[in-house]
Amino acid sequence: MHTMSALMMDYEFKVKTQNERVKVEDLFEYEGCKVGRGTYGHVYKGRRKDGSDNRDYALKQIEGTGLSMSACREIALLRELKHSNVINLIRVFLSHNDRKVWLLFDFAEHDLWHIIKFHRAAKANKKPVMVPKGMVKSLLYQILDGIHYLHSNWVLHRDLKPANILVMGEGPERGRVKIADMGFARLFNAPLKPLADLDPVVVTFWYRAPELLLGARHYTKAIDIWAIGCIFAELLTSEPIFHCRQEDIKTSNPYHHDQLDRIFNVMGFPHEKDWEDIRKMPEHPTLLKDFKKSNYASCSLIKYMDRHKIKPDSKAFHLLQRLLLMDPNKRITSEQAMQDAYFTEDPLPTQDVFAGCPIPYPKREFLTDDDQEEKTENKRQAQPQQQQAQQQQQPQQQQQQAQPNNNDNHGNPSKRPRLVGPHPGQVNTQVVPITSQQEFHQQQMMYSNTNQQQQQNFQQRF
Amino acid sequence: MAGNFWQSSHHQQWLLDKQDLIRERQHDLSILTEDEYQKIFIFFASVIQTLGEQLKLRQQVIATATVYFKRFYARNSLKCIDPLLLAPTCIFLASKVEEFGVISNSRLLTTCQQVIKNKFSYAYTQEFPYRTNHILECEFYLLENLDCCLIVYQPYRPLLQLVQDLGNEDQLFTLAWRIVNDSLRTDVCLLYPPYQIAIGCIQFACVILQKDHKVWFAELNVDIEKIQEICRYIINLYELWKQYDEKKEIQGLLAKMPKPKPAPQR
Repeated sequence: MHTMSALMMDYEFKVKTQNERVKVEDLFEYEGCKVGRGTYGHVYKGRRKDGSDNRDYALKQIEGTGLSMSACREIALLRELKHSNVINLIRVFLSHNDRKVWLLFDFAEHDLWHIIKFHRAAKANKKPVMVPKGMVKSLLYQILDGIHYLHSNWVLHRDLKPANILVMGEGPERGRVKIADMGFARLFNAPLKPLADLDPVVVTFWYRAPELLLGARHYTKAIDIWAIGCIFAELLTSEPIFHCRQEDIKTSNPYHHDQLDRIFNVMGFPHEKDWEDIRKMPEHPTLLKDFKKSNYASCSLIKYMDRHKIKPDSKAFHLLQRLLLMDPNKRITSEQAMQDAYFTEDPLPTQDVFAGCPIPYPKREFLTDDDQEEKTENKRQAQPQQQQAQQQQQPQQQQQQAQPNNNDNHGNPSKRPRLVGPHPGQVNTQVVPITSQQEFHQQQMMYSNTNQQQQQNFQQRF
Repeated sequence: MAGNFWQSSHHQQWLLDKQDLIRERQHDLSILTEDEYQKIFIFFASVIQTLGEQLKLRQQVIATATVYFKRFYARNSLKCIDPLLLAPTCIFLASKVEEFGVISNSRLLTTCQQVIKNKFSYAYTQEFPYRTNHILECEFYLLENLDCCLIVYQPYRPLLQLVQDLGNEDQLFTLAWRIVNDSLRTDVCLLYPPYQIAIGCIQFACVILQKDHKVWFAELNVDIEKIQEICRYIINLYELWKQYDEKKEIQGLLAKMPKPKPAPQR
């Protein structure tokens, strides 16, 4: 008779697998090289111990133990995705002893959160930042390219924000955009459950499309496009376009009065003719109850951007307007956006967003495990969402307290050599202009950057 | 990832060669006959199906779990991990990947205990012997052996499209769908791309329903030989099923199955 085998696993098999298994700490040196931490886990900058190459790698230790659903999703999707503007998962390490999961990526020195922060600080200190004229355009083009790839593979990102848009530093992929943090990404054809059921609140509010705030139950490509529009505006002005105080971010209710108010204050209140299906939104009755159209009569995107020195007749503004359409059905697709005249107008986008010019941004700093950090870490674990909210708010708070000489971002931008740009029409997306004649323009706007608490460092998302 | 099967890990890494499959199974087939080996996999496909249904999972999740199970043993002997442990582990992992939502550890365990006791008492006289920590440990081994390839393409979507193209015959669709489910008890999911499996199952359904769609099949521009091979696997499955009483034979088969061995005694 068959009796239950008491042994779940064959000893020989176990030993064989153990011997084949490579430990992350045997392969990589990363001790003391933490560059990021957050609700997603910890990120280290690592090098191969055997010296077989001298490249930097990013090692992401996923928060918690074992395979959470978001870890599963991230591994499953990244294992399949391959595009020059999507972060490349090189390898997965499973640490059986402490049940930790490690993901190995190429190291990206920069991200849009830090880049925008740097510009704000420089602006507050009245110091110019030298960047190639087409940098914002190149960034946007590559973001669209990466998202187009994801969308055409039926993957939605769902959490696009500046911190998730990485930019490669010096090296073979210099100045290349990498879309990261796919933990929330999901397949969206034939969802097995209404998408809203899984993660009540995923997209950071500032980058959330109005239909989500009005209770849309399904994520769509258009939701990612809205977030890209927000990022584009933020790159142009250095201000988060839909910045909003957020304290009750933990709520699972998608309806968010203050955030909608902020959107209407920039965009104006949507006319029914512009967004016919707005009546069908679950929170439409609440909207009618809470908002008065007349309060926003004088608001429009034209005026908002004009205040930030982006002219309504510019190609950049035209594209922005198409990305930030309130009606998700009218919002353009990533493919349409890439065809926009903005990208055929000089300066053309470049593969290296820095177009061969010196990179003015500081490298990532290592985080130390001091007391303050531990304290913050504990706090974070208790209230991860609020921590994130604080982090998002910080730039605004800083601006109010701007002090001219307090620039935590080492490197003195004003001392950078002024370079002159390529002749019109010489740059195309394939050819990286490496010339000492780059024309730089000073970015407008930008975060002021005082009030530097050490805390801020480890609140930044990798 | 519906867009690019051709660039997928499924296509590039997990469409196996029949000769490889035979070679990998050599150890197990020195103990079991081919029929016995297949009967064991039929049994565990039923265990996974029943667990999935009990947990109210969609067929897509159940199918993915079954493919994980088959992929693991395509590379390893049955003795490496007790299939009674690997089956719920596959369900657990697939439900996370297919985003059905995480099944709580306790619910998974309770379901395993109930299903083994109520539905498979003819195979197992004792209760389900594993605990959460076993499943979690096993999950890491599973993920490693799958080489982190978690996205599995299933024949259901191409099936739907093909039947629509054929003029949406409900009867045909329902039957072909059931045949796709049954095909998980054969090796076709390890050997052929899902759209070919879908076509094979439609053709099989057409034969059963005596429907003549020769012209439509001819216009599909597929490798007819592959489709015939898939049909042959399915015919063989039904033949095997006809002359086999699982309730009587399974205990003997499970007893004969290669088992995990402990560390050598010193």
